[in-house]
Parts: sequence; structure tokens; C-alpha cells
Amino acid sequence: MGTAPISIYQVDAFTDRVFAGNPAAVCPLDAWIDAGVMQAIATENNLSETAFFAPDGQDGADYAIRWFTPVDEIDLAGHPTLATAHVIFSALEPTRETVTFSTRLGDTLSVVRAGDRLTMDFPARAPQPNDALGDVAAALGAEPAEVLAARDGFAVFKSEAEVAALAPDMAAVAGLDCMGLIATAPGDECDFVSRFFAPKMGVPEDPVTGSAHCTLIPYWGERLGKTEMLAHQISARGGTIHCGHDGTRVRIGGGAVTYMTGTIMTGTFAP
Amino acid sequence: MKIPYYQVDAFTDRLFGGNPAGVCPLETWPPDRTLLAIAGENAKPGNAFFAPAKGDADFDLRVFTPTQEVSISGHTTLSAAFVIFTALGFASDTVTFDGQSGRLSVSRDGDLLVLDFPALPAQPDGPLDSVAAALGRPPQAVFTGLDWMAVFEGEDDIRALRPDMAAVAALDCRGVMATAPGETCDFVSRVFAPGAGLPEDQVTGSAHCMMTPYWAQRLGKSHLEARQLSKRGGTLICEDHGARVTISGRAVLYAQGTIEV
Repeated sequence: MGTAPISIYQVDAFTDRVFAGNPAAVCPLDAWIDAGVMQAIATENNLSETAFFAPDGQDGADYAIRWFTPVDEIDLAGHPTLATAHVIFSALEPTRETVTFSTRLGDTLSVVRAGDRLTMDFPARAPQPNDALGDVAAALGAEPAEVLAARDGFAVFKSEAEVAALAPDMAAVAGLDCMGLIATAPGDECDFVSRFFAPKMGVPEDPVTGSAHCTLIPYWGERLGKTEMLAHQISARGGTIHCGHDGTRVRIGGGAVTYMTGTIMTGTFAP
Repeated sequence: MKIPYYQVDAFTDRLFGGNPAGVCPLETWPPDRTLLAIAGENAKPGNAFFAPAKGDADFDLRVFTPTQEVSISGHTTLSAAFVIFTALGFASDTVTFDGQSGRLSVSRDGDLLVLDFPALPAQPDGPLDSVAAALGRPPQAVFTGLDWMAVFEGEDDIRALRPDMAAVAALDCRGVMATAPGETCDFVSRVFAPGAGLPEDQVTGSAHCMMTPYWAQRLGKSHLEARQLSKRGGTLICEDHGARVTISGRAVLYAQGTIEV
């Protein structure tokens, strides 16, 4: 592996102020490094995700991107992608207005800047009826009106207050047959609210989850008959997500703020 | 406001081992809510903030987990001293801190950093049944103090623990250390503090303030080598000096940068 220094940025995504939104670490690479080292960096960072990107984008994409939680590599992540685009737009290529990323799954993700708002274009993953997840009500400690699933379990409640009051049994959530669990309801002051629990991935509650909105947007777009929606993720830190529904694609938008800029001491990596 | 930031792996001599801590040297103290927000944002098991001392120590030191301020954190203090000695060009071989636990000092001895900490007393009056239930295996004895200490027969017992974290968090203590004689060192341990936001702490200097006097007395020796058997693992050299203990280890710099809040 190379010994060139690796830059690291910590960015709060889906917010316009530090200490809110969802923090992600972002590491620009000149060339890919060993996946075990990327995993060790993500574990050391101990944020919900660390994004790495390098200039070998496939199918014409500007960059290739990969995401790691503290325990595993994952196929798709929203807020770290927003954070990565923020680093590119604010620090690395300030004249750019659009950036595209290729992923391991063969998707191409694009992020467009308009003022302070960054908007991602992601595949829609509409939730389907699913009664094989396990006891979702017991795991959440409350009975949802409806249980669906895509990548993640999808529990629909009647009111924002019900979602805000959830105190899940994290061991039980981790035992469900889905990656994470989305809880959602109509919003009191926006179109819909959500919370996202992923103890199986080392993230008991994620503060703001872009990828969950790949499933939330088609559901609420259909149910509300809207293509433009405002969503709040009502975690302790909280986040604001500007949503667009375009059939098989979704638009997920928000602000981002740089919290920390630094350098990882690659010279001390073990061989 | 810009604040320098260092991330250090403490009680190890290799990157990605030991216990990570964030370290922020300050000129002046921001409001407490900002310190807590930084510690939460950093999401590291320990976060040290220090500024020139108001009294006659070198620095005033405050330490935080991601969720709260704590009175003592060995790996965090060691990380702060490592930054002071290696990055800030501190001239002396001993640095002193005033903090919630009173005066602490850290000296350098080659690449070893030596923490001088208070010995923490332990009373053998802990509840065996609830600790056995929380840790999933019955200890031989449970001691109480700042944290609780569950003593087991052997290293295999410690490695095999799969605690019920909700039950550990419900115990009437900050955290629980499980300890036993080591197979290739004097004693081993693991530390669980889910109530403080650290389900399993990777390497815990302060736990050795309680374990060192216990093992020194039990083994009849004052110089002890200890290993913490977490996933990342740590090595600590402990010495019993009656009312004080020294806890020594190495540290590695992972990253340095600047925070803007």
C-alpha cells in the first residue's frame, strides 16, 4: 500500500449547522488502498460511515465511491455521499456544480449543487408487504399500522408522536431479518418523519439516513400523491431532507457543514 | 472558533490497537455545552480538553465520553500527555494536570508514558447474583467502588464473557470490570460501561486504579503487567505505591487536524 498521506474530513450532512445532522468521515484517495485498511480506518473513526473515493469512476462517472461502517462495508449510503460531494464542492473542486460516483453495485449516483443545497439522485426502492421479518412490534415496543420491507424493514405508524416515543429493544431489532429498521409516520410540520435503527450494523439509531429515503420517498410519494416532499428525521441530532419522487429514481437533498479537516498518519500503518 | 484536533491510540504500540481518544488543546475554555457537543461529534471513547492551568499545574484537564463528562479517564489522559510531549514540544519530562480527580501527572520514560493516578479502593461487598446475571457467568467475588470489579478464576472466563448490556447498564455503578489472573501476564481484564455509552471499553486506564492494588496484594508483587482482552487489545504496566498507582503504556498518533465550531 502507498504511504502518501490520506486526508480526512468530518462533515455533518443534512443540516446547515455543526453538531446536527449526521456526521460522516470522508477520505479522498489518489488510488484505492487495501480494504482491510479502509475498514480499520472506519472502525477507528467510529462514525456511522466513512466514505472513500478515488478517481477511477466507471461508466463515465467522475469518481468511484465505497462506504464502510465501523463493522462492515455497505452497498449504498446517502449521507456519506452527500458529505463526500460537499468535500468535493467546498474544498477540492470549487468550480464544479455536479459530481457523479460509480458504486460497487454498478449504480451511478449524481449530486447536484444549487446554492447551499446538495441533491442526490438515487434508485428508488419501494417497500413491499413482508410478514417474514420477525416480531417488529415487539422490537419497537409499539404496534405499527403496517409493516413492509425493502433492504430495511419499514414500520408505518399513524402519528409523529408514536415515532418520537419509540424506545426499541436493540437486541430484538438486531434479530429481525432485515439490515435496518425504518419507523415512519405523517409529519406534524412536514410531509413525513422517520427514525432509523441499525444495531446489526453497529449503529443503534442513525441520526439522519439518506438511503432510508430511497424507500421512504416512493412510499410517501404514492400515499400522498406528491413528487416534492419535506421530511424530518427525528433523532436527537435531527435532520432535514428535501425529497423528490421521479418514478424509479428519487432525489434526496440537504445541506452539509465541515466539522473537522485533518490528515491520517499513514506512515505508521503496519505492513 | 478553530480548535486543533489529534486522535491517538493509547496503550498500544501499533495503529488501530489500544483505545482511541480525541485530544483538543485549548487556549480558553468554550461553554460546557460546546465541549459536550465536540465529544459527541467525535464519537471517540475518550475526549480530552486541556488549557493552561489556573493553578500551579501545567494544564487544567477535562475528559468526556461521547455522552458525558467523567472524573477520570486513563487512556484519555495518556493521549493528552502524548500530544503534549510529541506534538506541542513540551520541554519537561513530566506534565501535570488539574482535573476533577485532583492533580494527575504523566511522565515520559523513553517511549513509555507513566500515569501517576490515585489508587481506587474496592470493597468486597458487591452483589454476586446480579453481576453474574449481567455478565452471563458467575464471578468468584464482586468489589464495589467507583466502578465494580468482578473477579473470575481464569483468562478463559474473561474471554468467554458475552454480557447482557441492558442488564449491565441497570447495575448501580458506572461500569463493570471483569478480571482474572493472566496466562502470559499478571492479570487480564475487560471493561463494560454501557451506561456511559461504552458497551465494551477497549483499554481502560482508570479501571487499573482499582485492579492494581487488588492484584498487587493478591500476588504479593508491586510491579504488574496487565492486558485488556478487548477486540483492539491493550498492554499496561502497573505499579502499586499504596495510595497511588502508576499505569504506563505507549501511544500512536492516528490523525491530526482542525475542528471548526
